[in-house]
Amino acid sequence: MTVRARDPIVVPAVALVWALVLLFVLYPLGRLLVLTFWNGGPSLDAVRGLVGDWTHRAALVNSLVLAALVGIAGTALGFAFALLGVRANLPGWLRRGVDAVVLLPLISPPFTAAIALIFALGPRGLISYHVFGLTGVTIYGLWGTLLSETLTYFPVAYLTLKAVLANIDPNLEDAGFSLGARRWHVFATVTVPLATPGLANAFLLVSAASLADFATPLILGGTKFPVLPTQAFLQITGLYDMRGGAALCFLLLVPALAVFVGQRWWVERRGGSFVTVTGKAGAATRGKSLSPAAIVALGALCGIVVLLVLVCYGLIAAASIVRGLGADNSLSLAHYAHVFSGGLKAVRDTLFIAILCMPMGGLFAVVLGFLVARTRFPGRRTLEFAAMLNYALPGTIVGIAYLLAFNDPPLALTGTAFILVVCYVFRYSLAGTRATTAVLAQIDPAIEEASASLGARRDVTFRRVVLPLVRPALLAGMTVLFIRAMTAISATIFLVSLSWSLVTVRILEGITNLELGQASAFSMLVIALVYAAVVLATLAMRRLSAGQLGQAGSLLGG
Amino acid sequence: MKAIGLVLLLVVGALAGPAQAQTVNVYTAWPESLSQPIFKAYTAKTGVPINFIRLSTGELVARATAERGNPRADVIWGAPGDGFAAAKEAGLIEPYRPPTWDKIPAELRDREGYYTAVAKNTLIFMSNAKLLKEKNLKAPTSWMDLLDPAYKGQIQTADARTSGTALTRILSIYYAFGKDEDRAFDYQKKLHKNVQVYTKSGGGCTVPAALGQAMVCIAHMPDAMEAKKKGYDMVVTFPKEGVAAVIEGVALVKGAKNREAATKFIDWTFSQDMQDLLDKHDVYMLPTLPGASVDAAVAALMKEAKLLPVDLEWVGKNRKRLVDRWVNEVIRD
Repeated sequence: MTVRARDPIVVPAVALVWALVLLFVLYPLGRLLVLTFWNGGPSLDAVRGLVGDWTHRAALVNSLVLAALVGIAGTALGFAFALLGVRANLPGWLRRGVDAVVLLPLISPPFTAAIALIFALGPRGLISYHVFGLTGVTIYGLWGTLLSETLTYFPVAYLTLKAVLANIDPNLEDAGFSLGARRWHVFATVTVPLATPGLANAFLLVSAASLADFATPLILGGTKFPVLPTQAFLQITGLYDMRGGAALCFLLLVPALAVFVGQRWWVERRGGSFVTVTGKAGAATRGKSLSPAAIVALGALCGIVVLLVLVCYGLIAAASIVRGLGADNSLSLAHYAHVFSGGLKAVRDTLFIAILCMPMGGLFAVVLGFLVARTRFPGRRTLEFAAMLNYALPGTIVGIAYLLAFNDPPLALTGTAFILVVCYVFRYSLAGTRATTAVLAQIDPAIEEASASLGARRDVTFRRVVLPLVRPALLAGMTVLFIRAMTAISATIFLVSLSWSLVTVRILEGITNLELGQASAFSMLVIALVYAAVVLATLAMRRLSAGQLGQAGSLLGG
Repeated sequence: MKAIGLVLLLVVGALAGPAQAQTVNVYTAWPESLSQPIFKAYTAKTGVPINFIRLSTGELVARATAERGNPRADVIWGAPGDGFAAAKEAGLIEPYRPPTWDKIPAELRDREGYYTAVAKNTLIFMSNAKLLKEKNLKAPTSWMDLLDPAYKGQIQTADARTSGTALTRILSIYYAFGKDEDRAFDYQKKLHKNVQVYTKSGGGCTVPAALGQAMVCIAHMPDAMEAKKKGYDMVVTFPKEGVAAVIEGVALVKGAKNREAATKFIDWTFSQDMQDLLDKHDVYMLPTLPGASVDAAVAALMKEAKLLPVDLEWVGKNRKRLVDRWVNEVIRD
């Protein structure tokens, strides 16, 4: 049962969301389309030079393969961590510890993760050479890129799936057990099917992120493994061919659309109900769907991942407190001194923008997610897809599209912080939207109907019933947005202005300028700030709303 | 939500504020550590603040292209010459000749005055001393040395499709082989077999080489000197056949909002005062104004180098073709 379009609150809400998407997603892309395919008239000359190039053809195939592999590996890994976190009854401190570690690659600027991986697993890496004594290890190419992207993006899957799993009442699994099913059977026929919307969303988020990611392949891809975003980047920045680069980026929308349609089909084909949250709560029960052996196996897998992440970031932490990693390993706080003197403005600016993004993006994500999941109006799917366009496109091209659209009066937003804020909100709200639709798919609309039948207006129901129920999704969405705002680089480089400088730009500069120590110190600071924000957001959300929804109310487990 | 958005828009608009009256807005490809001391020196001398953003050359040109209708930068300052060739072709910059223009050697400036070189940036080999010793090798002193199987998987250098460094390498090889393009590409195909990875930023091999992930990095002089300054044990050598140097240009942006302040800043860029700063602030590039002081360490190294003359105009016309050949012949396994 869903709300009909003539509901007096839904119509203006849809209109407003459409207006925002039109202005901040479709208009900039339209400008870019015109630039690319209009040359005094419709023209394909931007594409002509690209078709014959073998690297572009290879890049298309590689991008698809990589996105599929990262999507599968990232979703699987995220599911493993979520199962362990939600169903294994681990002690709270362990859950919180694991959560804090796995968020690291997501939290740190993309360049940092790839570089740290080279230090750990490169030809002279800490793990590959110094621990295992391997020589001639190749980190560059498909495997290095796959590993790095999986480590970077599986936390997104983990966050999504954790909220979904936490909403599956263990009583449902208990019902399976009392019917005599074995653990594996319950897992395969109750837990996994109920988590399907979450799994599909996680796959969409992770593989779309991989499709659009250019930082990782930029460092780890090399010439043997070209992918579309790096090809587009090279076309624009190395060959000064903005139109060709834009055309390559538009090509990326084809697989993005395929993933989007595919995951819809996957969820809807099953046709079943994913509702697990109804007004009727059973007695609280402890999950027992995981056998001790399964917990050990999952624990081993997750343990290795946690260890790898710890090594990578241990290296970054080390680089931040020594004079020059590998050259002069004496302890020094000089890099932090630099961060807290010359770098302070960048830190302040970044924080200001990231904090502005959170409520705006969070609200946008939840409203959009709600409209998509709970209402029926014409063009609903189109709106949903349009809203994710900026996420699916490489940052470079989004940055250029924003410059084209918002540099001239009357919409001269370049040079202000506002352009950075809207860019982040409309590029990185997707995680919040998807989390909202996934959580709403589990919640029985009867709960909202009960509110309506008690005389509450739709906006009151939204505020008092829906918002508390989607709180984990809202929190996940705002957290991801904050993290992305703190760490984004590729679009940012075109939008930072003379008066707004950002930390990631400083980190990138540090890495390219052999200021590893400074870059690492900045990275550590970003990580500390993000953790602080996540903890604060968790506490704030808990105090603001009365309704409790399982342990999913907290991102960091407590 | 709309109300919140509007309020925020106002708050943000107020915070961003109008630009100061007497400033120069600069896009530079030089890292902050190199460019900022020079800009600060100008502000100290004249009181005119320099606002700058650091971007890679390609990002800089892309950004200026997208902003063409309402330029945000007044000066493009310190970026490899091929970027300026592209900017000139796209109509992003306009000719400006500082008073000392005639003193700058002709091969270091655009014939029509669209851009002028502030410095020259030389290609070098830098090798990790510890790894050389481990393998009992001497630092390479010829392009041919790099073909030794001992270097297999040990060389990193820039992807030809990135601007700047890679182009300097390709030109170095082209001129070192007496402008015989086919031989130059045959050589690069052989070199490719020893290359571990082509990095996508010019100096991207510096960190891996400094930390021992690769033995040899082919990059620019400042990359190597910075690594040495940080305490990494790197050996800088040149191929005896010769290397090319790229120019680091300066240009006035077409339609610059602070045109007068911008031209004064460009005038100062080509004064003896400023050209001496390249040495004083350890930029490790060669000044273009004859008579300006040169970093002693760089000067000592440059005695070993055979600098090959580069024909800017030929490069502008042939860069794309050279890169295409590299993509289709060298890296295609």
